[in-house]
Formats: sequence, structure tokens, C-alpha cells
Amino acid sequence: MAIRSRPAFFARSLFALALIVGAGGILPLTAAEASAARATANEVRLAGAGATFPESLYKRWVVEYQKAAPTVAVDYRGIGSGGGIRAITDKTVAFAGSDAPLTKKEIEAVGGEGVLVELPMVAGGVVPAYNVPGVDQPLNFTGEVLADIFMGKIAKWNDPKLAELNPGVKLPELAILPAYRSDGSGTTFVWTSYLATQSQTFKDQIGTGKQVKWPVGQGGQGNPNVAAIVSQTQGAIGYIEQNFATMNKIPYGAVKNAAGKFVKASPESVEAATSTAFEKPRDDGRLIANIWNGPGEGAYPIAAFTYIIVYKDLRNLGSEQEAKALTDYLRWSLTEGQRFASEMDYAPLDSGVREQVLGALDALTFKGQPLSKVATAPSPK
Amino acid sequence: MPTPPTTPQPGAATAARAGAGGRSRPWGDVVLGSLSTGAAITIVLLLAMIVLIVVVSAWPSIKAYGLPFLTESTWRPNELEETLRDPQGRIVYDDDGEPKTVIEPASFGAAPFIWGTAVSSALALIVAVPLSIGAALFIVRVAPRLRIAEPLGFLIEFLAAIPSIAYGIWGIFVLRPFLEKHLEPALRWLLGDLPFMRWMFFRTLADGTEVPIPLTGRDMLAGGLILAVMIIPIITAVSRDVLRTVPRAQVEGVLALGGTWWQSCAAMLRYGRAGLFGAVMLGLARAAGETMAVTMVIGNVNQISLSPLAPAQTMSSLLAMDAGDPNNPLHFSSLFYIALILLVMSLVFNVIARWLVVGSKARTFGS
Repeated sequence: MAIRSRPAFFARSLFALALIVGAGGILPLTAAEASAARATANEVRLAGAGATFPESLYKRWVVEYQKAAPTVAVDYRGIGSGGGIRAITDKTVAFAGSDAPLTKKEIEAVGGEGVLVELPMVAGGVVPAYNVPGVDQPLNFTGEVLADIFMGKIAKWNDPKLAELNPGVKLPELAILPAYRSDGSGTTFVWTSYLATQSQTFKDQIGTGKQVKWPVGQGGQGNPNVAAIVSQTQGAIGYIEQNFATMNKIPYGAVKNAAGKFVKASPESVEAATSTAFEKPRDDGRLIANIWNGPGEGAYPIAAFTYIIVYKDLRNLGSEQEAKALTDYLRWSLTEGQRFASEMDYAPLDSGVREQVLGALDALTFKGQPLSKVATAPSPK
Repeated sequence: MPTPPTTPQPGAATAARAGAGGRSRPWGDVVLGSLSTGAAITIVLLLAMIVLIVVVSAWPSIKAYGLPFLTESTWRPNELEETLRDPQGRIVYDDDGEPKTVIEPASFGAAPFIWGTAVSSALALIVAVPLSIGAALFIVRVAPRLRIAEPLGFLIEFLAAIPSIAYGIWGIFVLRPFLEKHLEPALRWLLGDLPFMRWMFFRTLADGTEVPIPLTGRDMLAGGLILAVMIIPIITAVSRDVLRTVPRAQVEGVLALGGTWWQSCAAMLRYGRAGLFGAVMLGLARAAGETMAVTMVIGNVNQISLSPLAPAQTMSSLLAMDAGDPNNPLHFSSLFYIALILLVMSLVFNVIARWLVVGSKARTFGS
């Protein structure tokens, strides 16, 4: 074997390091060149990321908007609401999607109130989906009973409290298996926030949040896995998004609303829940509202807005052209785009709410100057 | 443009190489040497950076919880806003007539996941070890006579190469329904009435009442069984290699002394025991780190339950679940703490396994 001298070894290591560093230097260069090449095609790219709940609608919007404005390429990745808020705080995306409004800490992290703006886009309902053999008609629930079920206090389908809500339905003597989202999700946030308004014990022991500690049941990742547990297990009950339940033909129940009526979730009943959201303006002017347990005879009680979050002053986007492209896209989403919402079983915004959101959109600026409505925007219907 | 370092005169080149005594070497050697050194350094740097980032990210949680994190069994990512009540159980109101609340911060502990990983891996080993070592013995002692050692060995290596998500799909569509409809009801029928087996089929609520655990096929047992299937190939393959290194003299010696064929097999296992143990440790390391297939069948409940029929959660499965959208910075950091535990654990398993396997080979070939 050859004996190697130490200096030679060090020299070689240095050379190797130089190669690595050199390669590292070249890569970003090529990336910059590539984006420059794209920009010359007079194309604006808008990146968004965040909540998974509206992802399928936002992706549909991307496709449809491409037809209306071929020079603007929008992109949305469903990485979770928290990830979206981190991304907009770090300015790595043009807009973020979130199922929950910004928290106090998140507002402080970005430099105080009024730096970011929340714009409600559509609303959605969360439904109790179940698998009870021999029951054909939709079951009736109240928030209190659902809270008891998810705390393990109501453990059988023929429990008197359930029987009382469902006269004439033959409920089997079958154990209830609650199924929940084990990953962090806006769905859990809406579900627990609603149940906490209906049961003090639930509020004290389980609390609210994107992820909570459940005392009973089984967990699954995402809507598909919760739906799988429900459809595969007799006696299971799980909470999933209404459009997911409808798309996959999973039976779900009606829930008693604040007016005392049992309402099944649908784009119409969720839209009814949004109508009174901003009747009383907030002191800080933010367009955020908890619409669970809202008033109205036809309002579905377990509903929530999903928001797009942008900077109030869009100087983070680099050019006025990009800022205009973003506001045009959002304006289109709130007008033309709403049509696709009900098609895909999301609830479109109530017309009064929509006017208010469009007003907030018009108030966005670029380097302090208001953005003019440009001609590429399709006229509102 | 670099000029070629050697002139196309073969005589001169040879002379230069011989005369310099390794001081000036051909250009190609230097480049290849640098590149391979660079590759090696990159890998070491990469590993160092991964460890560094995991430790730095886990630091807030390490600082907040320290070592008790390992035994703390509560994993609640949300903070609780509890209504304050007086000793009589009445709600306490503040001056504005609003109920007073106390905020209980989120709380993190790794015990349910360490428990889940340990028990599911142990279940997997109980099932996989006898099967794997039996199969390895068959391949080494019986299969050559039947001329099927080669195809069998190939099949086992093929099993080891199947991606884990494929096992997961099999777990959900075949193993889970089988457990739910056949194995678990059969277990309950066999053992459910025995008073000392009640812990397996019932759980006790906070108020002392016993309720049956629903048999869903999404539980610790399912997780353990799918892990068993996944680690059988690797334990078999390594055990086979270990048994092959047992010198013929050992086996033939037993036979020559009048031992039975069975006794010669026992001698073989005894001779290779350190290596076999290493094979088991390699299987254990794989079981502990396995994620997707387990996530799909284990039920994903962050709890500690003695019963293998209750849903559970492993460390790697929890990471897959929670990493997407952590609730708060401490949640994020606690996930890295768990990743660190997992990292240290696999390191320990792998080091022990390597030491045993390599040691057993060295004993055969070394002296």
C-alpha cells in the first residue's frame, strides 16, 4: 500500500472543498437565469400556499383563470394553514391560504396590525359522518350530544339522548367509535370551536385548536383516512368536510342550529351562515368572523370561512405589474370564481359579504399608491 | 483550458511516475482522488448538518422538558382555556360578568410514542425472529439438497426491496379486515371470558366502568404484524449469511461425534449466535424507523394501553402526522426532540448490530 503524506491529503481536501463550493455557486446562477428567461415571456407568476381545505377549489381557480388571463400563472400548494402563514411572513409566497384568522402572535411577528389583510374567499361546513347499519334517513344531532360522543360520554347508538333527537328511528345497540383528524387541520379547529360553544365540559377538558387530545376513538390523517375509518367500521362517527362527504357519498347528519332547527350542511345552508357575518363591523376593520353557531333559520351551525392572506401594501411582490396581477386574480376569484365554488360543494360568499371583501381588496396598495383596476380584470357579473 | 499533464511519450511518463516516487501523480488520479474525497467529505458534512439542525431545532423543547420528556405521557398540542370554578363547582365571574379563565399551556411528552415504538417492535420480533431464523436454517442446511437455495434467496432479497408503502396498502386492504373480521373476534372468543385476560379486551374509564375495546383491526397488533412481515426478509438474509460463515468443521464435527442432524443444527445456531443477534438488531432498527405502513394501520391514538387491541402511535408515525402543520413553536420543537430520540435509538441499534455481525464474521475468517 502506498503511504500518503499529510500535506498532500490536505491539499486534496481543499481542492475537493473548492469543487463543492464552486458547484454551489453555479446552481443559483442557473436558477436566476431560468427565471429571467421566464420573465421575458411577459408572464407573471403568483405563488400561494397554505390551507388544504380550499385546495381543490383553488387549483380549479388556477386552471380556469389561466383561460381568462393567459399571461398570469398562479400556483397554490396545500401545506396547511400554519405553513401558509409562515410562508407569507417570510415573504416566500404572494398569498397564503388559512382556515383560521391570524393570531395575535402571528400579527406581532409580521410587524403589528394592518400589515397583513385577511380576505374571506369561500365558506365550508364540517359534518358528522357516520356508519350505522339499518339507518337510512339522516340522523339529527345537537352540539351537546356530539360533544358527549367525542368525549366518550355517549358510547352507544341507542343512548336515550340520541333516541330523543331521532324519534321513529330504530337505533341499534352498537358501540360508537369516534374518528378524528390526527394531523393538524382547520377542520379540527372548526369542529372543536363549535363544540366548545355547545358544551362547557368540552371547552374545559378538550379545548379548541387545529390538534387536540381526544380521550376516545381513532385517528386518521386527512379527510380521506377519517372517511375510511367511518366507512369501514360499523358504529363509527367522524367529522369531515361537507364537500368531501358529498363527493364520496358518505352519509352525514343534520345539526341543530342556534334557531333550534335541524339543518343538513349544503352550499346553501353554509352560505346562509355567512350572510350575517359582518353586519357589525369590527373595531380593527378586519374581515374575520366566527360563523359557527350563527343565527338564521336555515344556517348550518358548523361552518367557517377560509381566508386568503396578503400584505396590505404589496411592495413585497417587487413590481406594480405583479401587485396588479394579484389583485386582479383575487377580484376574479370573488366574482367569476364563486361560480365554481358551489359547483364543487364549497359555499360561495353571500353577496353582501362579497361586496365588503371586494372593498378590502380595493384598499390594497403598492408602495403606498392605490392600485388602479386594470383592464385585464373581467367585469363582475 | 487545462493542458494535458502528460505528454504522449510513454517512456517519459513512466519515468516521471517512477522517479517522482508518488510526489507528482498523473492528473486523472488527482481529479478522481479529489472527487472521491470530496464525496466522502460531503456525506460526513451532510450527516453533521442533519444532526446539528435536529439538535438546534429540538433545543427549546429539551430546555423546557429535559429528560422527563421521555416519561411524560400527555401529548396535547393545544392550550386549554379552562373556566375557573370555586370549590363548590360554580363558575367564577370577573367584574364585567365574564367567566374567569385559566390558560393551561400545551403540553408534550414522548412516552406514548416510545411505548408504541417499543411494543410494536417487540410484537414484530416475537413473530419475525423464529420464522426468519427457521427460514435461514432451511436455506443453509436443507435447500441446497433440494437445489432451491438460490431462487429462495433471491425471493427473500426481493421481499426486502419492496417499498414500505406497498406493505401499507396490503396492510389496509388485507391484513386489517382479516384482523377485524377473523383473528380478533377469534381471540376474544378464545380468551375474552378468562378473568385474567380482561385487560386485553376491556378498558377502564375514568369513573371506573369497564367498556369493551372495539375490534377495528387498526391497533398495536396490526402495527406489530405488519412490521413483522417487513423485517422478516432482512433478518432472514443476514441470518443466512451468518450461518453460512459457520465453518464446516463445526457442523461435521458434531456429526462425526455421533450427533444427530438436529444437534448439528443447534451447534450451528450456537456458533453463530452473536451474528444472529446482530441480524435481529438490524431488524429491530428497521422496525423502529418504519413509518408509512405502520401509520396506516396502527390507529394513530396518542395513548399508552396495555392491550395490543387498542390503537396506538409510534414515534415515526407521529412525526409523519404532525410535521405538516404544527400548532405552535414548542410543538414543532418537540417533534424534533422525538426525531432526536429516534436518531439516537437507531444509531445504538445499528452500532450494536454491526459490532455483533462483523465480530462473528471476524471470528470465523480472522484467525
